[in-house]
Amino acid sequence: MKKAYLWIFWIGLVIVLILFPKIVGIYYTNFFIAFAIMAVYSQSINIELGYTRILNFGHAMFFGMGGYSAAQALSLIPGMPIWGAVLCGLLGGLVLAALLAPLVVRVSGMACAMLHVAFNALFFMLAMKVRPLTGGEDGISGFPIPPLNIAGLISIDMKDPVNFYYFATAVLGLSLWLMWYFTKTPFGQVMIAIRDNPKRVNYLGFKVPESKALVYIVGGAFAGVSGSVYALFQNLFSSDATSGLNSFQPILMTMIGGIGTFIGPIIGSAFFSIVEEVARHYTDRVELVMGVTLIIVILFAPMGFMGFYRKLKAKWGKAPSLPKI
Amino acid sequence: MDPVTAMYVSQGIHGLAYGMILFLVASGVSLIIGMMHIFNMAHAGFFMLSAYFTYQAVAWTGNFWLALLLAPVATGICGMLMERFLLRPLRGSGVIGDLILTVGVGLCIDAAVKMIWGTANKPLDVPKALQGLVHIAGLEYPAYRLFVIGLAVLVLVIMAVLLYKTRIGKIVRAAVSDNDMVNALGINIPLLFTFVFGVGIWLAGVAGAAIAPILSVYPGLALQMGMDAFIVVAVAGFGSLKGAFLVSILFGLMNSYGVQFISQLAPLSMFLFMAVVMIFFPHGFFGESEEE
Repeated sequence: MKKAYLWIFWIGLVIVLILFPKIVGIYYTNFFIAFAIMAVYSQSINIELGYTRILNFGHAMFFGMGGYSAAQALSLIPGMPIWGAVLCGLLGGLVLAALLAPLVVRVSGMACAMLHVAFNALFFMLAMKVRPLTGGEDGISGFPIPPLNIAGLISIDMKDPVNFYYFATAVLGLSLWLMWYFTKTPFGQVMIAIRDNPKRVNYLGFKVPESKALVYIVGGAFAGVSGSVYALFQNLFSSDATSGLNSFQPILMTMIGGIGTFIGPIIGSAFFSIVEEVARHYTDRVELVMGVTLIIVILFAPMGFMGFYRKLKAKWGKAPSLPKI
Repeated sequence: MDPVTAMYVSQGIHGLAYGMILFLVASGVSLIIGMMHIFNMAHAGFFMLSAYFTYQAVAWTGNFWLALLLAPVATGICGMLMERFLLRPLRGSGVIGDLILTVGVGLCIDAAVKMIWGTANKPLDVPKALQGLVHIAGLEYPAYRLFVIGLAVLVLVIMAVLLYKTRIGKIVRAAVSDNDMVNALGINIPLLFTFVFGVGIWLAGVAGAAIAPILSVYPGLALQMGMDAFIVVAVAGFGSLKGAFLVSILFGLMNSYGVQFISQLAPLSMFLFMAVVMIFFPHGFFGESEEE
């Protein structure tokens, strides 16, 4: 019975997503793409921070790596297909994460967070200074957006925003699904166990540092995917996107939504996008509105929206409370 | 005195002055983390707020000394209000709430400053008595920077006396090591927290007021100082005032000599240093290991 409802929900969601550009027009279609990019980006940090408690406060590095890889692949390699660019982004994030992982998984807690802040700042400086590779503050722009070829038969123009919407939604939706699947595997249980009690996981015979490294690499790879889609979406990737601020934003989104839950980061990014959009419509003091909203939300729901929801649920029935990170 | 030595000395003074300012901010951050376990993301925002208060007070009264006295106090009161009405209701709900709340307050300060004073640079003159150079042993020092160093040392001495020689200092130090136990002994911990938070913000306020004439007052001030103070606290270790002092001075000097010799890499050097320290001393030089 419950399964049938789920199927109806998923089919309904797919239909809504397909019809979305027709219903709301091009402006909100682009708005949705921006939200979806942030949702995947926040989810990739949630896997590390919320599920495994790897305090990664420098996630913009992987986002940036993905964006730069995709942009450079498109501007340097002629005939690069569009999915190839996304793949390059994934590989970029993955390789950087694999390089940092041996170092990062050995330090824990605040030291890990600080280390990431330092690395992020270094990465940002390099992105600003190494102009031949990154284009500095101006970034890499104007790279060609190739059409999507399916089996050499159909060619879909990706410069058309509606077509790009379908492509981006497919890629980002697939990423979200893969991450969800990842957390539901037996390994996902190990991740949560590491978060709750790493010592005990170690005694049980699991390899804690290696497991953390794997999570770290997966998180980096998906951040790379979101970065590459972002680069394709904007047709521009500049050093701004790799700043520490951009590391912090997905963490805030995850926390507002509810850290350690799968739906949390998605709700959080939706909430952020909507508040920002509404604020931009009525006032030019977006920062002030964001700040006040954050304070109000957190005063009423200290563990984010999902925490609030579970607290309400716990009033009527039994529900597991959110973990303390 | 040959010009090369003079250059070294004057760069040293610059570095020392900046290091002292850095220490005033970082010590507040360190105190608040050590005692309340709150990483105050709005700390640098208060630092900037105080610089603007100083600017405004000078614009109204024309008296820098009055501004130097009043602006940090006003900032400290703002901090206490924040602790009382925003942070206290969240006590015990975990790190996440505190973090988001302080980020929110930081954003509000940033936006409010831009709304009230605009985004343009607000220059502030060095007070007349401290303009010009002081000649000591054939060398020239900018008087205001010497004053800043002196002021910071004075604040440091007052803080040290307060912390190590008075009853309230004893309570604060005890609360840093175990605030539940102090609470159980019948000391009003919430009130103490408000007080310490206020003092921490006041320290940042003193730094903001003192730095206003050196750098001009602008909205990017918070970000710049926030990052530097954050690195100092991380490298020194949470809750360690001695560590914060030594590392601040080191960073101040590193900054000013770095700009002199490796200007391209100077902004990188602090982060590189921090990364190396974090790898080998995960809890900082002087920090105690946190309970996980």
